Amino acid sequence: MAEKKSFFVWMQSLDRRWIYLVVALAIIIPLLIPYNSDNVTTPPTENVYQMVDSFAGREDRAVLLSFYHDASVMPELYPMQIAIIRHCFERNIKVFFLSFLPTGAPIIDMAINTVKEEYPNIKSGVDYCNFGYIPAALIVPTVIGMGDNIATAVPTDAEGRKTENLPIMKGITNYNEMNLVIEFSGSTAGAYWLIYARPKFGTNIAVGVTAVMAADEYPYLQTGQYIGLLCGLKGAAEYEKLVDVFAAYRTPGEPLQPYIDENGNKIVPGRAFSKDILKQPEIKDLIKITTQTEAKFTPEEFELFLKSCPEKDQPLLQLAKQTVEGNIIIDVSKLDQDQLSPITWDTLNRLTRNTQYKFKVARVGMNAQSVAHIIMIIFIILGNIGYFLQKAQTTKK
Amino acid sequence: MKKTVPLLIVIIGGVIWLAWVFVPHRIIQDVFYYDFYLPWARAMAPFAMLLGVISLSMMHYGKIKRRVPKWQYSFFFFAGFIVTSLAGFIGGTQKGGLYMWIFENMQMPMSATMFSLLAFYMASAAYKAFRARSPEATVLLVAAIIVMLAQVPFGVKISKYIPDISQWILDVPNLASKRGILLGVGLGSVATALKIMLGIERSYLGGD
Repeated sequence: MAEKKSFFVWMQSLDRRWIYLVVALAIIIPLLIPYNSDNVTTPPTENVYQMVDSFAGREDRAVLLSFYHDASVMPELYPMQIAIIRHCFERNIKVFFLSFLPTGAPIIDMAINTVKEEYPNIKSGVDYCNFGYIPAALIVPTVIGMGDNIATAVPTDAEGRKTENLPIMKGITNYNEMNLVIEFSGSTAGAYWLIYARPKFGTNIAVGVTAVMAADEYPYLQTGQYIGLLCGLKGAAEYEKLVDVFAAYRTPGEPLQPYIDENGNKIVPGRAFSKDILKQPEIKDLIKITTQTEAKFTPEEFELFLKSCPEKDQPLLQLAKQTVEGNIIIDVSKLDQDQLSPITWDTLNRLTRNTQYKFKVARVGMNAQSVAHIIMIIFIILGNIGYFLQKAQTTKK
Repeated sequence: MKKTVPLLIVIIGGVIWLAWVFVPHRIIQDVFYYDFYLPWARAMAPFAMLLGVISLSMMHYGKIKRRVPKWQYSFFFFAGFIVTSLAGFIGGTQKGGLYMWIFENMQMPMSATMFSLLAFYMASAAYKAFRARSPEATVLLVAAIIVMLAQVPFGVKISKYIPDISQWILDVPNLASKRGILLGVGLGSVATALKIMLGIERSYLGGD
């Protein structure tokens, strides 16, 4: 007992540099060695996702993303921005960007370029529009002005083109169409939208904030003034998961891009949000963050997939297939990319359910956060045990 | 005169903006706001930026001139300001240019590093100072542990109820206290604004 006491007393006076070392290792090791973990989605994140997704493929709906932060809070906010932009590009949702901070403008460029690399068909001014930096002195005129006419409130985009002449503006006039604003901030997120856009024009507002600020946003969430909330890295990880499970999901044989069906209807690939799907055990295969190289098909799915591929690729795919427990498996790491047409290669990679690193950053980060939180809880418990033992010892003396 | 004019400006400005919020008449909504205020606001915004740059430059110039403690750091301000501005003006702000390179490889990692230090301070503070010294502190400690666990996938593995309990903590006690604070701040702001508009509160003019 005496030994135990001395250990805890010693722990009480532990140099803080040892604590820093343990925290650093707790963060670095899980980042270097990713493992699969499930980030259970919460209603505030699901609500944002569903609202964004309800605009899929619509000419007369758009989302505005406001980057009201600088680089310091990027580790928490950037992954959620990437996830939302990816969602918009996957589901053919018009998206606008602006920043009221000069340091926010390069972050917008970075975020767009990072996602756009994977979507060569997405075009500036057509599928998205970056208004760039708007001086903070113009926040109120801009927020209110967009309620009447977006092209009047922000006459040019970041590239100097007239907003009213951009193809993206077809069907978009004001908040009636651009009916969702998501503001990302490390401080008072959404304040201006809440004060000026929400009461006057009924604009839907959601926020993405750092975890330390999330508690401040709950009063507005509960009243419905915010339709949803992305809370720090956890919110980003949840959103990434939802995009993988629904927006980026493709069944074998389904085209990767939006298309017009035989009846003239615009079909946007991916599937709609459903709580039931989230409960299915199969989704574990969709949310793995470790590298996946095998595309798995049922025999029927493989036939559909083959039919959708160019004829020259079909013999190669037949050769590459392996049958395991009644399913057909193709390992993309054993295929030569140059021998396949780009569309087959892209589709096959999509069907491996492998997620690129930039689209799973938050989930990899959540593993590190998981270990760091556990370490901190252990520290708190050890510190308290030491405190009470020391107190008992002092009282006894 | 020195106090009356600023006082009048504040009172008239305050009344106009109050009217803008509550009066839907064309004169205040269109003539004042769209025809008068908006063009002026747009014209003034760049001057505010210019004012900021001049003020910051003068402050750092003064530090160097007076050789105040740590005056050498002011050179970093000028170096950063001049290099970044030139990179933006000459090479543009798009990807591939020096401006974006500076942002991605210098500003971003440095800012993120500063913010991430918070994790280390929090861990150290949690270990050294987060003690169950009183019943209130114990409640805070238990709530913190539950919310911390619920924030990570590992917490759900321990118990499926942890996220629900955490959500309740955020939705009920947290929300109630936050709303109380917000209402207090809001009422305080209204009272202060009224006092300023009515000329009762004059400390912003300087003196007593």
